[in-house]
Amino acid sequence: MDTQIISKVSRGTKMDQIYIPKNRIGLGIGEYVIILPLEKEITKSKKIQFKPYFHDLKDIEPIKLKIIQEIFSIIEQIKPDNIIITGSFLEKGFRFNDIDILIITENSRDITLIKHKIENFGIKTHLIVLDNKTLISGLSTDPIYSLMLNRCVSKNRIIYKFQRKINPKFLDLTLLKSKTLLDNFEILNGDEKYYLTFNMISILLFLKEKKLAKEIIDKEIEKTFNVSIEKIRENLIDKGFLIKFRKVYNNTFDLIMERLKNE
Amino acid sequence: MNRNKLIELFISNIANAIVHKILEKAIDVPEIIGKYRTEVINSWKIALGYRNKINPIDFPLPEHDTEEIKNRVINNVKAELKLRIGRGYKNISIDSVGEIVEQTLKEMNVI
Repeated sequence: MDTQIISKVSRGTKMDQIYIPKNRIGLGIGEYVIILPLEKEITKSKKIQFKPYFHDLKDIEPIKLKIIQEIFSIIEQIKPDNIIITGSFLEKGFRFNDIDILIITENSRDITLIKHKIENFGIKTHLIVLDNKTLISGLSTDPIYSLMLNRCVSKNRIIYKFQRKINPKFLDLTLLKSKTLLDNFEILNGDEKYYLTFNMISILLFLKEKKLAKEIIDKEIEKTFNVSIEKIRENLIDKGFLIKFRKVYNNTFDLIMERLKNE
Repeated sequence: MNRNKLIELFISNIANAIVHKILEKAIDVPEIIGKYRTEVINSWKIALGYRNKINPIDFPLPEHDTEEIKNRVINNVKAELKLRIGRGYKNISIDSVGEIVEQTLKEMNVI
C-alpha cells in the first residue's frame, strides 16, 4: 500500500501549510505529492467497493448506475442496514417521474439533507425510511411493496421471509384510490390512468394469490381491457375502457368484501 | 367546463377523500399507511384543483351552493360507508361524518 498521511491544513502568514511527521516512510523531501480532502478520498475508496445487488433486472443504463452509485455513497453516511432503489427509475429509458429510494434502518433519521443532496442531481426523489418490521409488514399486506422489491437494486442482499396476508380493510383503502379514475376519466392523463389501473389489477391478483411482477400485471391489464399499455399511457382509450374498469373495480371490491365477511 | 360540472366533480372527489380519511382510521396496519404510498394523484388534490376553478375562488361559495354541496358530500360519504358496514365492516363511525365534512369544506374554503 502507498504511503498515506492524514494531516490538517493550518494557517500560515504568507501561505497555509500541512505539517507531516519527520519520521515517516516515503514522501521524501523534494517529491511532489497530491493533496486531497479526506472526505473525497473516503468516498473514492467506497466507490471502488460498489457492488450492488440486482433483483430481476436484466440491464440498466450506465448513467443510471452512476447515479445509483452516487446515491449509495450519500446515504452511506447514515450507515443504514440497506439501501434499495426501485420504481420507474429502473425501467428502460428515461420516462421516470422520480427515483424511489428505501432506506432500511432501525434508527429514525432526519433525511432532509440527504434528499436535498440527491435532488442536486436534478431528479425528484421519493425517499422512505423504514425499519425492518415495517418493511416485512408492508411486504406481506401491500401488493405495491411486493412489487417494489420484486425489481430493485440494493446495496446489500435482500433476504426477507414473509407470508402473504390478506388484510381486506387495507386492500379496500388501497382500491379506493383507483376510484379516482371512475370520477375523473376525462381529466386524467394516460400515465395517471395507467397507474390507477395498475393499482387495481395488482390488488386483484394479490387477492387471487397470484405472483406479482410488473410484467404479469401489465399482461393482465392488456388481456382484461384488450388494449396495449402504450395506448393507455398515451391516453388513447375511450369510454369502453371506463365501462370495463368499473366492472373490474366492482368485482375487486366484492372480492375484498367477501374476505372481510369471512374474517 | 361549466360551473355545475366543476361542482359535481368537486363533490365526488372530496367525498372520496373523506371516505379515505375515515377508513384510514379503521385500519389495523397503521405502520404502513403513508410510507411508500404517497400517491401524486389523489382525490384530495384533485378536489382542491376543482375548488380553485369554482368562483368565487378566494371566498366561501354562496349559501345556496354550500348547502347543496354539504348535503351531497354527506350523502355520498354515508352511502360509501354504509355499503361497507352492510357487508360486515366494523369500526366505522357514521356519526362523525357531518362534522368531518363541515371541517373539510372549511379547509377548502367552500363554507
